[in-house]
Amino acid sequence: MSRRVLWIAAVVPALLLAWNGVAKIQFEEIAGPAGVQMTHTTRHFKGKSADVLRMFTSGGAAVAVGDFNNDGLDDLFVTDSDEGKHSKLYRNDGNWKFTEVGEAAGVAGGNDPLSIVADGLWFDYDNDGWQDLLVVRFGTPILYHNERNGKFKNVTAGSGFTKFGNSIAAVAFDYDRDGDLDVMLGHYFKAENLLDLKTPHVLPNDLDNAVNGGGVALWRNEGNGRFTDVTKEAGLAHHTGWTLDIGHGDFDNDGWQDFYLANDYGTDRIFFNNKNGTFRDTTEKSLGFDTKKGMNVDVADYDNDGFLDIYVTNITDEYMKECNMLWHNNGDGTFTDLSKETGTCPTLWGWAAKFGDFDNDGWQDIFVVNGLRSAGKENYIPVLVTMITTPGIDFTDVNNWPNIGNMTWSGYQRKKMFRNLGNQAFKEISAEAGVDNDLDGRGIGMADFDHDGLLDFYQTNADQKSLLYRGRTQGAGNWVQMKLIGTKSNRDAIGARVTLTAGGLTQIREVNGGNGYAGQSSLRLHFGVGRAAKLDAVEIQWPSGLTEQVNLSVNKIHYVQEGKGVVPAWGPKN
Amino acid sequence: MRQARLLVCAWALAGVGASGATLADLDRYEAALAKNADDLRAGSEYRQAVIQLKQYDRCIKFFEELVAKSPQAANAYLNYGFAYVDKIPDAGAITQVILANTALSHFSKSIELRPSWIALYTRGNSYLYWPKIFGKAPLGVKDLEEAMKMQKQDKLRSYHVRAYISLGDGYWKMDDLEKARAVWQEGAKLFPNEPRLKDRLSRSGEELAKYIDETLDPNKRVDTNLHELWEDQ
Repeated sequence: MSRRVLWIAAVVPALLLAWNGVAKIQFEEIAGPAGVQMTHTTRHFKGKSADVLRMFTSGGAAVAVGDFNNDGLDDLFVTDSDEGKHSKLYRNDGNWKFTEVGEAAGVAGGNDPLSIVADGLWFDYDNDGWQDLLVVRFGTPILYHNERNGKFKNVTAGSGFTKFGNSIAAVAFDYDRDGDLDVMLGHYFKAENLLDLKTPHVLPNDLDNAVNGGGVALWRNEGNGRFTDVTKEAGLAHHTGWTLDIGHGDFDNDGWQDFYLANDYGTDRIFFNNKNGTFRDTTEKSLGFDTKKGMNVDVADYDNDGFLDIYVTNITDEYMKECNMLWHNNGDGTFTDLSKETGTCPTLWGWAAKFGDFDNDGWQDIFVVNGLRSAGKENYIPVLVTMITTPGIDFTDVNNWPNIGNMTWSGYQRKKMFRNLGNQAFKEISAEAGVDNDLDGRGIGMADFDHDGLLDFYQTNADQKSLLYRGRTQGAGNWVQMKLIGTKSNRDAIGARVTLTAGGLTQIREVNGGNGYAGQSSLRLHFGVGRAAKLDAVEIQWPSGLTEQVNLSVNKIHYVQEGKGVVPAWGPKN
Repeated sequence: MRQARLLVCAWALAGVGASGATLADLDRYEAALAKNADDLRAGSEYRQAVIQLKQYDRCIKFFEELVAKSPQAANAYLNYGFAYVDKIPDAGAITQVILANTALSHFSKSIELRPSWIALYTRGNSYLYWPKIFGKAPLGVKDLEEAMKMQKQDKLRSYHVRAYISLGDGYWKMDDLEKARAVWQEGAKLFPNEPRLKDRLSRSGEELAKYIDETLDPNKRVDTNLHELWEDQ
């Protein structure tokens, strides 16, 4: 190794580390002035088990970020869950002003007497260049086709999505690489309608190793507006865990999408793509089995080693010390949990968590929301433990669970933001960043809503008002954003991987179709590049198999079309 | 302590090494305990072999049947409780609570039958593993104060340091730092080289809280090997 190389090897990391100390990550909460503050309501049930069922279904506060009107600005779909309550579609008008158009667009409904809206997912299922919307429910999902005029048409009846499920998570990705987006739904409870209970035995059979949950369903896009349930054919029918979230990505760099399941009350699972329409469960070899309460999956290469890592939230509180899992991808099909070593372990009762480079230094940071139920002074835990420790108690029976009433359960918890220090270490900075609210967080939708190069995010909260955090970091690094447009690949380019080299650092990003609990982030990829004034190389690996190099400049949003390279931008802000 | 000492029989370990336990060893221990259910040492060594082999459920089932056959065997109940404690690190967070609670009930039965130092210390210490929210620390302190009284009437034994450590932890859990430090200091005079007391006395505030929280982490295996009882006769 020459002296010059040695010098570079010594100095470049030092410069990068020095950069880490420059910008102070800061956010400003502006949901009210921006017109996107919404108070979510969880479903109220009827009958003697009403209180317990409401407690068990305290999710449903979700956000999906997507540009439904193709004006270049990311909009927000925010769910509500109580009967008759309407979900909201907030159109981004620019300059931090949003207009609620959910009812006018025809996507506000779904909370009927026998269904509960739990999540939302934007994806262009028919590759027409316009974002369609899947409203995920405890019930049957609703598929809305984007009619390109600000209105949506309910096309569920002809879509094949007619199977009941207690769905709480949804991701879209092209698992078979046929050029259209397939859908995977995560089911929490087994397929019993909680709003019309036929049996009280609907709750987990074990609180650490439950096997009576709803599992997952994989719906293959047939390319003609119809979807077919291929769960069994894909080898996924045996999974009966309590799925809370799904995260997909190409974990083994073979060009095919794999996925990870965060399961409540028992072990998470990881599945690798067999490239023939099926998946193999490699949990035991890849991760080992766990007994934790998996809540969230987000996927990113946090240490810039060229392999996608996985972040899972669990429950770590005074009475239960599970610790999150930051699964470092070892590159050989196995993962090592480095949450304790990196300082990302304790986030209390975790829900959504998202990676994002908040200071544009080239290292992805993490934001985590938490908190189950903030209510009265009395704590539910001692009451619950009395039930749990009753010899021979049947946990599945909803009638055996004590009512929570106005009691608090892991409530009033401060959110956590971890700054990536770039050396396998994170620093918790939520208070100084201005994001340490104590609401009962659920979902996070991340995007650069105002095109200033800083990531912003929307936080949903159960039975509480939502929040919109605007990135305000001063002295942040340079950045580049890419909206990828598939042609042979799916139009949303979900699954496309970008490898970018700048400032001595090589980073990867993949376009994902809804990773993270109760929150879909922008399809536009965001890279921070620190002080680098130019990008040395940008390579795109499209799901079709095409690999393309493009020349891009910093501090700009680029539109890149498969096979054509950089194309003109659209929207008023470009 | 005299009671416990009298109950420890001279049953030999007979070939079970630190990592060499076999299922045949378990058979032998079970046979021995079937003859003398109150044999504290045999029960302790049996459980150490069980831990090596991760045969927790077999062990629990064995003691369940043993106490049914020998309902007056206080030490069998003690080992029965320990069998649940031994399983805790390998269990999920909620199962840990269930196991810990069941262990407490068997420790209580043991005390009811014969309130020995080891039983009182064990139950008292077990209460301290429960988070503050459950309010079990005062119960733990009560047991540990009883154990302390008993040991002060005995000659000083190496394992008596445990009561000083745990009783101090109990006071600390009840937010009485002054009493906690006093009992740790009292212990340090008797056991000046004891690192666990030095560690506590050299810390304060958040640092001490973190140290005790880590000590009482249910995910860490508790040493339930009772060999000190017969090594310091």
